[in-house]
Order: sequence, then C-alpha cells, then structure tokens
Amino acid sequence: MRLLQLNLRSLLLYSLVLVLISIPLSLFSIRLILNKEVDESITEQSDQFLEHIKGFEYLDDLETDLKVLDQLSSNIDIKPSVEQFIPKRYETVILYDSVENEQKPFRQLSSSVDIKGKSYILTVRMSLVENDELVIAIGSVQVAISIMLTIGLLLLNRSLSKKLWKPFYKTLDQLKAYELDKNESIPVEKSDVIEFDDLNKTVSSLTKRNREVFLQQKEFIENASHELQTPIAIFQSKLDELMQSPALARREAQTIMELEATAQRMARLNKNLLLLSKIENEQFLNTENIDLSHLINSQLSVLKPMAQLENINIVTSIQSVHLKTNPTLIEVLLTNLFHNAIRYSPKNEEIRISLNDHTLIVSNKGRPLKMDVSKMTNRFAKESTDASSTGLGLAIVRKICDRYSYDLRYAYADQSHNFTINF
Amino acid sequence: MKVLIIEDEIQLARSISQSLTHEGYVCELATTAAEAREKIPMFEYDCVLLDIGLPDGNGLKVLEELKSKKKTDGVIIISAKSSLDDKVKGLNLGADDYLSKPFFMPELIARVSAIIRRKRFDGNNKVAFQEIIVDFAAKSAYVNHTKLELTRMEYYLLVFLLANKNRVVSKHAIAEHLSGDNADLLDKFDFIYSHMKNLKKKLAEAGSGDYIRTVYGLGYKLSI
Repeated sequence: MRLLQLNLRSLLLYSLVLVLISIPLSLFSIRLILNKEVDESITEQSDQFLEHIKGFEYLDDLETDLKVLDQLSSNIDIKPSVEQFIPKRYETVILYDSVENEQKPFRQLSSSVDIKGKSYILTVRMSLVENDELVIAIGSVQVAISIMLTIGLLLLNRSLSKKLWKPFYKTLDQLKAYELDKNESIPVEKSDVIEFDDLNKTVSSLTKRNREVFLQQKEFIENASHELQTPIAIFQSKLDELMQSPALARREAQTIMELEATAQRMARLNKNLLLLSKIENEQFLNTENIDLSHLINSQLSVLKPMAQLENINIVTSIQSVHLKTNPTLIEVLLTNLFHNAIRYSPKNEEIRISLNDHTLIVSNKGRPLKMDVSKMTNRFAKESTDASSTGLGLAIVRKICDRYSYDLRYAYADQSHNFTINF
Repeated sequence: MKVLIIEDEIQLARSISQSLTHEGYVCELATTAAEAREKIPMFEYDCVLLDIGLPDGNGLKVLEELKSKKKTDGVIIISAKSSLDDKVKGLNLGADDYLSKPFFMPELIARVSAIIRRKRFDGNNKVAFQEIIVDFAAKSAYVNHTKLELTRMEYYLLVFLLANKNRVVSKHAIAEHLSGDNADLLDKFDFIYSHMKNLKKKLAEAGSGDYIRTVYGLGYKLSI
C-alpha cells in the first residue's frame, strides 16, 4: 500500500467517524435548543394569555368565554381544575391532528392558573413538526457533506500523489537505476518540498561519496598494479644475473628457474589485474568496425600449432561477422576464451570453435566442473592448481561481455564445456 | 656502442647496465630527468633506454627534448604503466620501441641490438657469428654462404640467441619472445626443445660448429 493511501485511509476513517458521531450529536443538540426555544415560546404565550384574561375582568361570563376559547383554539386548553395546584409541566405529546389527519408531536406546557378565584389548568402547546423537518434537513446536509468529503479527499489524494510526490518517485527511480560502476552521482533536483529537497541532497551526496570511494578503490588497484611492475622487473633482472654465474649447481639452477616461473606468474597476474581495472576505468573507449572472423583466424593461426604440440586439434566453422567494438578488448576476449579452451582440453581431443549469426561458440572436452558454475567467472575462481592459470581469464571475459552487453553463457553437455557469446 | 640508461630504480638500472656491458655496450646511467638532460648533449648515444615514470617529471618530456635536438639516438621506452596511450604517445614522439615492465633481460638486449643495428646500417645489414651470418633485410641466415631453410620460429630463435651471445638465455625468456602473450599456454620445454632441436640440426647440416649449448635446467647459451 502506498504511503499516501495509508495516510488517506486514516484521515478518511477519522473524518467519517467524526461525521457519523456529529450527526446524532448535532441532531440531539439542535433538538435540545429548539425544545428550549419552544418551551420559552409557550411560556410566553401562557403568560400573555393570563395577562389578557386579567384585562377581561369586566366580562360577565368569563367561564363561558373560557370554554369557547378552549374549544376554538387547538393550541390552548383551559379547563377547570379539581385539584388546588399542579406545578408547571413541560412535555412532548403525540396528538391527533384532525385537519391533516395524522398523529403529530407537540410540546406543551401545563400549569395551574387562578382566574377570579377559580382554579384552572392552562395548557399551551406548539407543533414540533417544523422542527423535525429542520432536523432532517440538517442531517441530510451533513450526510451530503460527509459523502463530498470522502470523494473530495480521494480525488485530492490522487492528484496530490501525482503532483506532490513526483520528485520523490523521480528520486526513487533514479536510485533504482543507479549503478555505482556506471553512473556518476545522482544530481540534486530542486523541488518545492523541504523534505524532498533534503532527501535529494542526501541521496546526491551519498552517491557522490560512494562514487568517490569507488573511484579511489579502482585507482588504488590500478596504481598498486603499476607499482608492482618495477619490483617484479628488478626481481627478474637479478634472477637473470644469477643465471649468468658459471658455477651453478643443478639444484641452484632448478631453484632459479622455479623463481623465474613464479616471477612470471606474478607478472601475468599483475598484468591481468591491471587489465581488469583498466576495463573498469573505461580506458578502452574507442570503437571500430571489425570483422570478427579475421581476428579469430589470425589468432588461431598462432594458437593452432601450439595446441598441436599437445595433439589438440582445433576445428573451426567461421563465418564473417561484423562488429562495432574496441579492437583491443575483443582481442583480449578471444585470446582468453581460446586459451581457456586449450588449457583445459585433454590431450588428443578436439576443440570446436564456430562463429555465425553473431554467435561465437567455443567448446572443449573435459570433466564436469566441481565448482559452482555461477562462480566460474568470479575473480580467482580456479578449478585447477595449474600455476600458469591466473584465475582471471574468465573474469576478464565476463567484464568485457558486461561492458558491451554481450550475452555470455556456459553449458556442459556431451562431456564438453561450451562457452557461447551472443554479440 | 654507447647506451644511456635513464631509469630511477637504481637496482634495475644497474642490472641493465651490467647485462649490456657484458654484451659489449658502453653504458651511462641517469636516475633523474635532470641528470638525463645533462648527459644527453655530452655524448652521441646509439641507444637511449628511457623510463617514462621519473621522479622529477615525465620521461616523455625528456623524449621530446631528445628529438628536438635532432639526435639520431634510438629510443626505447621502458614503462611500468603499459598503457596504450603512453605507448602511442611515445611512438608518435619518435621513440623506436616500447617495452613494458616487467621484462626479461634477454628481451631488452635483443631490442637494443635491433635498434642499434637499424640505426647504424639503415636497415640493410648483416650480423656474423663465426661462420653463421644473418641477413636481416632478407630475413635469412647462412652458414658459409649456404642458405639455411629456417622456419619463422627458428629464424627468430637464432636472432634472439645471436643478440644474447655469450649469456645464458632462460627458456621462459625464449618462450615469451617467440610466442608473446601465448607463452603461458605452452609447455615451454617441449615447445622450445623442438624448435631448438631443428635449428641445431639445420645449422649442423650446413656445416656450422655446435655453438648453442644447453645449460641444464636453465636454457641455452650461444658461445664459441
């Protein structure tokens, strides 16, 4: 559920509860006020009536008059009282209205009055029908308001979520699409909302800082690799000096050779690390139109005789495929794939290389891998203890494929390791 | 033949100097760009080895100065950076070759000898070792004027050994020289052994003395 919907739900719930409570509450209080008004009104009428009666003292037959009055007016009853005194009483009664032919609510005041020494009960009443209509009208207005409130809030919410939250969703999309190794930092976008401005600033400075740290790391790897080159060069040159010594025993010679092999391994490792970080640092940007088949054939012309030494036969089926890419990187990619195939192919077996329709397949025979296939292209993922393998070859292949969005896949079938690249 | 070595790593500079001296070159050392600027006008050098990562400035500046003085020195750039940019820049500025660290000493010696040969003989040149003669222009070798039918690999092997005469050349250095980046792929010993066997056989058949000695466990040495 979206934040705004969650927000709206509570808001709406609260308003509706409030409106629902307010309907009976206001009805009740309006009725209370109205009753009070009516009570005051009938009290006044009753007082006025008594006032008038006093003014008619000269009339002879007051009793008859009062009887007539009682019968003429439906709103005033005046009847002789048996009891001496009853206290003033306000009440709501339902009476039959003969004119409209229905039961109607009335408010009435009954009180004992004393006219010319005789005791009467005076009842003044007032219809409450109009008040009820008022109450119903007010109630309907409130219901209408609550419906409008709901619809209004929903509509407002929709347009608000589009407008108000736009910068937020934009930032969110930018964050989703952000890749540390590809993008620069996320730029600060100005919005009208302080919170979003804050968020954008934070996101921007966070990505900027991360990017800086990332670049420093990359630079460090490159610099470290560079710095290692010279000591390895010195090491190799000293070994060469030792080699020139005329009185070397076999064992010493053996040790020197092993040291030189190790130095070479260091050099190769370092070179591959440097290459990896250079690819990451985007130092191979220029692209050219390249016929892949030419590249493959020229590499294989060198590699075929070498593979032949192990009695490995390279069988090819190459069609012309044109590609716009960096010549250095594509060469590195091919070299690493071919080297990998030759290195891990058993003796006296075939390596198959085919290129057509932008698909390169390199397959060599061999036992299934013991390692997790998904980790195969990780740095330093090695299956063998072969000292000539740096464990970086396939990582470089993967890096180059990622760089140009080539689809690299590995499958094991028919006792063959198959690498497929879709260009 | 005079070589100026401009290299700030004194250990490496000394090793290079020692090896080149052993091959008959006269070496001068400079460990800073300033020192190099001092020494450049003093002599005519046949070859300058230039490390472009110097503590007091980029070696490429030194190269520019060298070239602006119209000196005919052959320049080999030695760089720890092995970046394509530097290589292209260096070669565009008039460097003759580019070698990235780390390298095998025999490789450096072979490059120096190739540069000097090219500068001295304008490309039309021959080198002799006893009765063996290599004609670089024709890319062919002779023994007592009998042309040897060498494969490409055998020819390069012979040239490499000739440049490094009288010193032990390790199998690793030979493998790297002959196969470059593919060197790690081979069983070096088998690979080199077969080429070496064929070369020696062809030399012997043409009547050459047996000058290539196997140095047990290490490699080979061409000497009288």
